[in-house]
Amino acid sequence: MNRVWTGIRANVSTFLRTPLNVVLALLLPIVVIEGWGQAMAGLPSMPTVEAIPIELGRLLGAIFGVAIIAGLMGLAQMISARAADRRLVQTGYPPRTLLATRLAALGGVTVVVAAVNYGVLWLTISPEAPVLTFVFLVLAGLVYAFLGALVGALLPRLFEGSLVVVFLAMMDAFLSGDSPLAADIPEFVEYFPLYHPKELLQEAMFQGTYTTGDLGFVAGYLLVLLVLVTVVFGVTMRTSGGWSA
Amino acid sequence: MTVLTGADLEIRTGEIVGIVGANGSGKSTLMNILVGVLEQDSGTVERTGTVGWCPQEPLLYDRLTVGETFRLFGSGYGMTAEEIDEAKHRLASKLDFEQYLDYRIDQLSGGNRQKINLSIALMHDPDVLMLDEPYTGFDWETYLTFWDLAEELAADGTAVTMISHLIEEQSRLDRIYEVRDGQVYDVTDQEGETDATASERGEETDE
Repeated sequence: MNRVWTGIRANVSTFLRTPLNVVLALLLPIVVIEGWGQAMAGLPSMPTVEAIPIELGRLLGAIFGVAIIAGLMGLAQMISARAADRRLVQTGYPPRTLLATRLAALGGVTVVVAAVNYGVLWLTISPEAPVLTFVFLVLAGLVYAFLGALVGALLPRLFEGSLVVVFLAMMDAFLSGDSPLAADIPEFVEYFPLYHPKELLQEAMFQGTYTTGDLGFVAGYLLVLLVLVTVVFGVTMRTSGGWSA
Repeated sequence: MTVLTGADLEIRTGEIVGIVGANGSGKSTLMNILVGVLEQDSGTVERTGTVGWCPQEPLLYDRLTVGETFRLFGSGYGMTAEEIDEAKHRLASKLDFEQYLDYRIDQLSGGNRQKINLSIALMHDPDVLMLDEPYTGFDWETYLTFWDLAEELAADGTAVTMISHLIEEQSRLDRIYEVRDGQVYDVTDQEGETDATASERGEETDE
C-alpha cells in the first residue's frame, strides 16, 4: 500500500476531525484582520503616535492570522502524534516519509488557511497583484508551519509549545510590521520569520511587484527550517536497529 | 538513572516466554530495548525475522478510524491493500470488534482500544511477538481468546514474549524470566511463585 498517500490522508483526516482546528482556521481570520486593521487605524487617538493606514493594518492582520494558525497546526501535528509516530516508525515506516506526509498535509492546510485569510482581506482591499499576494500569504504561513513543527519536535509539550509559537508570532508580526508603537526597531528584526514575507506581501498588495532579494530570503528561511525539522524529527524517531527478515 | 545492569536472555521459535517483575523493575524498558524503540547503553541485541510489538499503553492515532489505523500501520509493514483488508477482518472476527471498524480510536472503550493495539502487533503475522501486558482491559472471554491465539501462534512457530503479572498465567508459559534488581533471571524451573509475583500481591519475600 502506498505509504505516502496513506500518510497524507491520515494527517488530513486527523486535522479535519479536530473541531478546534477547523473553527480557528475559519473564524480567526475575520477577527484578526479586521481587529488589527481597526487597532492600527485608531492609533491617532494616542498623543504623538501616527497611525498606519487601515489597509496596511488589515494586511498585517492577515499575515498574523495565517502565521499563527499554521504555526499552531504544525506544533499540534508534531506533539499529538509523537508516541504513535514512534510505533509507526518501528513497523518500518521511514521517518522521513512520515515527516514528508505530515509537512505535505500541513502545506495543504496552510494553503486553505491562506485562502480564507485572502478572501477576508479581499472583501476590503483589492490587491494590485492578486496571485502574488496569495502566494506570499501562503509563504508566510509555510514559514510558521515549519517553525511550529520545529518547536513541536524540540519541545513536545502542547501548552509550552503553544506559548512559544503565539508569543513569537505576536512579537514577529508587531515588530516586522513597522508598528508605530515600537520606538526603535532593532536591525535584527529583518531576520525575523515574518519580516521578508511581510515585505513581499506589502509590495505585491499595494504596488503589484516584488523584490527578488526578499523572495530569496524567504526561500532560504524555509530551506533552513526544513533541514532543522528533518534532523530533529529524525533524532526523536531514531530506533536502535531494525529486525532483519 | 540505570534501570537494567545486566540482561541476558534468548527467545526461541515456538515458545511463549514470560517476563515478570515488580512494578518499576524494568520489564517495559527491557522490552523496548528488545523491540528496538530504546537503545541500550551497552551490549548487543540480535534480532532476526519480523517483529510485532504491542506496547502497554495503546500507541495509536486517536482521530483515525480502526480501518484507517490498519491501513496506516499495514503500509508501515509493507503490506498490500488486500493483505491489510484480510488481516483486519480476520482479527476483527477473532477478537470481536467487527462492529467498530468505522469507529474512531478515541470513540472506543479501553478494552476495544487494547484489542486494536494488539491487532496492530499481529496483523503482519510476525515471527516474534513482543507483548507488554496485552490483555489489560479485556473481558474474560476476550482474555481466553487471546490465550488461544497466543498458543496457536506459538504452535505455528511464532516466538511469543509477554510481560505478565498474573500468577495463574505461569502454567501457560514455556519459560519465565524475572527482572529483579536490574538483572534478568531465568526462573522457569523455580518451584512456586517468583519474588515478583509475590511482591505484586504485596507479600514480603526473602531476597
